Amino acid sequence: MDNKKDPSWAKFQSWFVEKLVTKDGGISPILPESGKSLSGLSSRQIPPEKYNYQAFLEKASRTMIRFKKPEHLIKMIVRNIDEQLKVTHTAVLLYKEDKNAYILIDSKGSEGIKIPIGFIKLATDNPLISVFSEKQSYLVSETGILHYGDVVAGLRNRNILEHQADLYDKLLLIKKQMDLMKASISVPCYFKRDLLGILVLGEKISGEPFSREEMGFFVTLANDAAMAIANAQLIENLQQKVEEVKELYVREHRIFIHTSIALAAAIDARDQYTHGHTERVTNYCLAIARELYGIPEMNNYKNFRETLQISALLHDIGKIGVPDHILNKHGRLSPEEFEEIKKHSVIGATILHPIKELGDVAKEIRHHQECYDGSGYPDGIKGSNIPLIARIISVADAFDAMTSNRPYRKRKTVEEALFELKRCSGAQFDPVMVSAFLLAYEKGNILTNGTNHAKY
Amino acid sequence: MSNRKILVVDDEQDICEFVKNFFQERGYDVLTASSGDEALATVKADRPELVLLDIKMKGMDGIATLKHLKDINRDLKVIMVTALADQDKMDEACRLGACEYITKPLVLDHLEQTVEKNLREIKV
Repeated sequence: MDNKKDPSWAKFQSWFVEKLVTKDGGISPILPESGKSLSGLSSRQIPPEKYNYQAFLEKASRTMIRFKKPEHLIKMIVRNIDEQLKVTHTAVLLYKEDKNAYILIDSKGSEGIKIPIGFIKLATDNPLISVFSEKQSYLVSETGILHYGDVVAGLRNRNILEHQADLYDKLLLIKKQMDLMKASISVPCYFKRDLLGILVLGEKISGEPFSREEMGFFVTLANDAAMAIANAQLIENLQQKVEEVKELYVREHRIFIHTSIALAAAIDARDQYTHGHTERVTNYCLAIARELYGIPEMNNYKNFRETLQISALLHDIGKIGVPDHILNKHGRLSPEEFEEIKKHSVIGATILHPIKELGDVAKEIRHHQECYDGSGYPDGIKGSNIPLIARIISVADAFDAMTSNRPYRKRKTVEEALFELKRCSGAQFDPVMVSAFLLAYEKGNILTNGTNHAKY
Repeated sequence: MSNRKILVVDDEQDICEFVKNFFQERGYDVLTASSGDEALATVKADRPELVLLDIKMKGMDGIATLKHLKDINRDLKVIMVTALADQDKMDEACRLGACEYITKPLVLDHLEQTVEKNLREIKV
């Protein structure tokens, strides 16, 4: 490279590398030692005259990829070019999908020449854009750069004027656009085949033309930058997608909970004596769970609260399989009829079993009629062999049953029911769950809904 | 014919200087003002034909400035410039006699065309 012709050039590269590898560039350093002086870096490494473009660009591109926001990367590039290259001004336009146009992202330069942000917006059909996006290679030099000088020369070419009117008109429009931006050269940034942006440079303050090395460098820099921008945009898109999926999950989940509530309401509607039962049991279960927070057994569930809520909502779903005449019978049930009723916990589990996501729920529902001492049904398991949620539902379910009227008996008062829970603690019920229930009751978290509750 | 004289009012120095430079290169006499008060003084003293007035400014905003400008010279051409497409503000500006408005981002050739068009109207 020709250092005599352009003494600032080698300096620019060293400086650029230094900026890239120190925190000054707004990024984490690649090298463990940071903040080296400019002279220290260039003298300790390769002498400026032997400076290797390839090595520099490799380093630059490695660093660029670390930027998470395209705008930060652009700002760094613009700042560096402006400070070191001595051009009247620098500007970068980037394609913005939401505006379907190329927008000025950053610019630098002397007062009055620097283009303020928000002053340039080129539609995709702007001639300066289409010359790059349609790769009209006859207009751009072999480096891919569009030179103002070439455009002017093309307009002076009699051959074009006389035989290629379309091209002439296009050149006129391009010249006008470059005049507006005072562009001496425009460097395209491609990623794959897409034009991501354009680097616009004004004239050198010295008035000299850009050297071949400089232009080759711009092109490579632009393409490396394009790669980093594409990467950053990809990350941005990905993050957006993640948000969308999260939102979708929340929505689906809400639908699922509401479906469970609707199913629970359907069960309640069918069993006229237990109106509101499911809702109350669910609320009792959640109140008990609040007192239990922190107990290790909860960790056995992927999502304890949700599993509890759904199990409570659907605990009686098996009643769908119990004949109406038994379910709605006035008067005491015969032992045979009671056997039919007892099937509901197994039927419930069977209904939910095919739903893979509800594996835990099916298990809880199967066991919600088990007793702590092993005297319950369907499996007669006892103690901590009964799943946690089933033990919670058992207490909540019994409390609501006792405090509700039945065709064959009047309901107990709350105090009587609490006494019953205490009396059966350790036999029918897990004493821990009973204590939690009593605690919740004392805190006023067990709300027995008067109107629904008293309904006969 | 002498140069057309326009005034650029914006509280952002960068924008004032850029627009000034832009129109100077196209043969205009360009005055700048960085506040409403400054704009009023300049209009009284230098009598520009057209004013590019930013709506959102610290202190006296574009709408208030417009009102005072029209008190000084009813026939003054004023083009409002705004970053926000605030229709209420626009309607108010129109009622107060602004001849046109352009929204940021300013597209340079649109800016040039709008200014030229309005100056031509004065000639007629």
